[in-house]
Amino acid sequence: MALSNKTGVFICHCGTNIAGALDVHKVVDASRALPGVAYAADYKYLCSEPGQQLILDAIKEHGLKRIVIASCSPRMHEITFRKMLKKSNINEYLLEIANIREQASWVHTDFDKATEKAIDLVRMAVAKVGKSEPLKAQAIPITKRALVIGGGIAGIQAALDIADAGHEVVLVERECSIGGRMVMLDKTFPTLDCSACISTPKMVDVSAHPNITLMTSSEVEEVQGYIGNFKVKVRKKATYVNHDICTGCGLCEEKCPFKVESDFDRGLSKRPAIYKLFPQAVPAKPVIDKDACVKLKTGKCGVCLKICPLNCIDYEDEDKTVELDIGAIVVATGYKPAKWQSMYNEYGAGRFEDVIDGLQFERLVNASGPTEGKIKRPSDGKEPETVVIVKCVGSRDPKKGHAYCSRACCMYAAKHAHQILEKLPGGRVFIFYIDIRTPGKGYEEFYDNTRKDGAVYVRGRISRIFREGDTLVCQGEDSLLGRQVRINADLVVLETAMEPAEGSADVLNMLGCAKNDDGWAQEAHPKLRPVETQVGGVFLAGVCQGPKDIPDTVAQASASAAKVIGLLNKDEMETSPMIAAVAADKCSGCGACEPICPYTAITLEKTPDREPGTGKKIERSVANVNAGLCQGCGACTVACRTGAIDLLGFRNTQILQEVDALWQ
Amino acid sequence: MTNEQKQTLMRERAAALMKDGAVSYVIGWRETRFPGKTAIFFVRDEKDADMLVWDEYTIPLTAKYLTENRWPDKKIGIFARGCDSKAINRLISDNQVERENLYIIGLPCEGKKDDRCLSCTQRDPLIYDELLWEPENATGTSETDLQRARFFRAEEVESLPTDARFAHWEDVYARCIRCYACRNVCPVCTCRECYVDMHRTGFQGKHHDAAENRVFGVTRAFHVGDRCIECGECERVCPMGLPILGQTQKIIKTIEGLAGTYEAGMDPEADSFLGKFDLDDKDTFM
Repeated sequence: MALSNKTGVFICHCGTNIAGALDVHKVVDASRALPGVAYAADYKYLCSEPGQQLILDAIKEHGLKRIVIASCSPRMHEITFRKMLKKSNINEYLLEIANIREQASWVHTDFDKATEKAIDLVRMAVAKVGKSEPLKAQAIPITKRALVIGGGIAGIQAALDIADAGHEVVLVERECSIGGRMVMLDKTFPTLDCSACISTPKMVDVSAHPNITLMTSSEVEEVQGYIGNFKVKVRKKATYVNHDICTGCGLCEEKCPFKVESDFDRGLSKRPAIYKLFPQAVPAKPVIDKDACVKLKTGKCGVCLKICPLNCIDYEDEDKTVELDIGAIVVATGYKPAKWQSMYNEYGAGRFEDVIDGLQFERLVNASGPTEGKIKRPSDGKEPETVVIVKCVGSRDPKKGHAYCSRACCMYAAKHAHQILEKLPGGRVFIFYIDIRTPGKGYEEFYDNTRKDGAVYVRGRISRIFREGDTLVCQGEDSLLGRQVRINADLVVLETAMEPAEGSADVLNMLGCAKNDDGWAQEAHPKLRPVETQVGGVFLAGVCQGPKDIPDTVAQASASAAKVIGLLNKDEMETSPMIAAVAADKCSGCGACEPICPYTAITLEKTPDREPGTGKKIERSVANVNAGLCQGCGACTVACRTGAIDLLGFRNTQILQEVDALWQ
Repeated sequence: MTNEQKQTLMRERAAALMKDGAVSYVIGWRETRFPGKTAIFFVRDEKDADMLVWDEYTIPLTAKYLTENRWPDKKIGIFARGCDSKAINRLISDNQVERENLYIIGLPCEGKKDDRCLSCTQRDPLIYDELLWEPENATGTSETDLQRARFFRAEEVESLPTDARFAHWEDVYARCIRCYACRNVCPVCTCRECYVDMHRTGFQGKHHDAAENRVFGVTRAFHVGDRCIECGECERVCPMGLPILGQTQKIIKTIEGLAGTYEAGMDPEADSFLGKFDLDDKDTFM
């Protein structure tokens, strides 16, 4: 169908944003003279209601077939004007935006040259729209089930919010209980409420929620498909305990003769080979650690099987793979504390038992921890008198650790100091810091109170820690006094940096999500799309996106859930028609487009054809684009040497017309 | 073994394959009426096998001729040296020919009377169904053995000052007649329709001027890109004698600098260097 080129050009003043920096009327006059242009006009604010009406009236009056709007960036109002065109008889993709604001009026100071450039931009847009074709959005169905990867507080919050809105959720956690890092903590700043007391009810809510399927000891193994239609393979690791029968009585845990270091207590206590992560674990049923169980390693033992009154133990248990149909995915993979031992040799590199990290201190001070909440140093179990806290260990230190700030450490260092001073009467706390950052509700007040409690803040870094007798000598600089300081400490707490959790890179790669240089997941827009990713249907919650504290994590998880709910509330969704399209006759099947596609949207498919010349029936490979996966990035169109793959809305012919117009 | 003895072996083998009916034809070389020039020859009949030649002038690449028959009813026999085998690997990874459709008779090569053979890194065939003779003291298989730098043509241009380099290419493409012989002979130029012929799309005009020629030169080099097997056929067939291998060599040389070592056509399963989306891409050049 040949379309008329009767093009209408509309120039926006954007108040004085555009009209103040270039000659709008000159642009209108120049537009009128362009080939194909039937009408040109200008208006103060085209995006306003009267502005849009002016365009719609002109379309009717002059029988316009294609529209060019010279205004702000298409990122701003292209969608506005496309919606407007739905009220006319013009297909909304026969519209071109000439960006004469960000690309002309805002960036040039020379009035005449800015005008000239605006005219060039309009000329290019007119040339391009002349080759535009009507496009129609496709509808794809949506599977109303969400997958949440990671069962920390972020994953828990997101899962609960989505489930409460009435959608099915599958929550996958690789540990044998949900809870993540938050349940390891003792009290949370700035209100000092007990971390376990506020997080365990949420964990129980997850296990009791009719819309949530909880999969612990499980890992996502493969993700295929696209927004609304993911196919996810989850590997359920062998637990060797039949959780359908097990009541969690705990007899097996008591009798198990083999003990290993507890990860949950950060190595400060031992746990049996058959274990629950912690007493309030959800699910409250034990699993066997196959690396620690002597029965599984050597075949000799079997105490748990003998003791179990319900016969739940199954040494033959094997990993199982479950396939799920998923509509939306929330990544909530969290963080791990940096391994400071390999970064800071000067702090003993792990040789001194009484140099511990913040998370270990959380376990020490925790009533359910290895010392039942009594602060005792690991080496001899004595109560420390002088404690040194070192902040930014691995953070804000691009030479040894990471350039970024881990955001939560200033506050939990203050909290640690407060707890020490509260629990150890007569105790002294020195906090070495670079800066104090307390940007949160009640945070500055909390820090102030800690200082009033008696914590001594020293600005500077510890340069060396060594042992003299049974004290740890901390040498460093007080950079405010410009003096070397030396503190004999009984215990040193290092507030270590957050790093992306083990394996989070694999998860992000599997999903096709980008990450920054530090490994944190990349959001779609740092300000305006903070929980979306560039991959449709994949959202971010919590620390996997960057270091943050619990309030921010929970807020982001709920934001992510809101996005998922919005998506799952629809039965089907429109996809942008501006995606790659293959001209099968030109495609040589070389496959250059396949590995370059970031979204694995392109596959080669055997297509019946006839051999040129002979007419013999043959089969040849032709590229095929999955409309659901394609995001319209255009990488394939550049890889295709013959131009057989084209981006609809940005066809080679359109771009070449634009380039030609520039030289006319 | 002398060239004559090798030639006899080739003739016998081609005749035997044709007699058995194992292949529909065998691609090799024959003499032309010009001394020192051979041409590609399809042995379609047992008795024509005696027209095959093997001497210091059997220079042209056999591999590209496989694309004339992409869906053969029977296997195609092809004589392949190191360079031909790299080209065959390339054709396989570009999905232009299928390995099972080929019967490859490998010919370890002693180097021909051609400048480009002085910088050959791969004289022995990489892929074959049979080797017709054993490699004898093959030289030029490691970079230090090369009689001339691998990227000699690119280095010629690099030795010029920056302004002179542009002048160099201006001069080259002022003389180009856009006959597209370089494209036609290239074993990686296998599009069903070449962009230069899509006049309606408008990539390349029909005008014959230096500017259009330069666009062609640059585009050709980038379309070949990381796939160039450095056979130098483009330069050999150029009727204007233009040193166009410099462009494709420069691309491979740059990739070698980024990747450590790089050579296209060594492995049909190898990933594309420039054309693969990789989340861990260092993007050092951006």
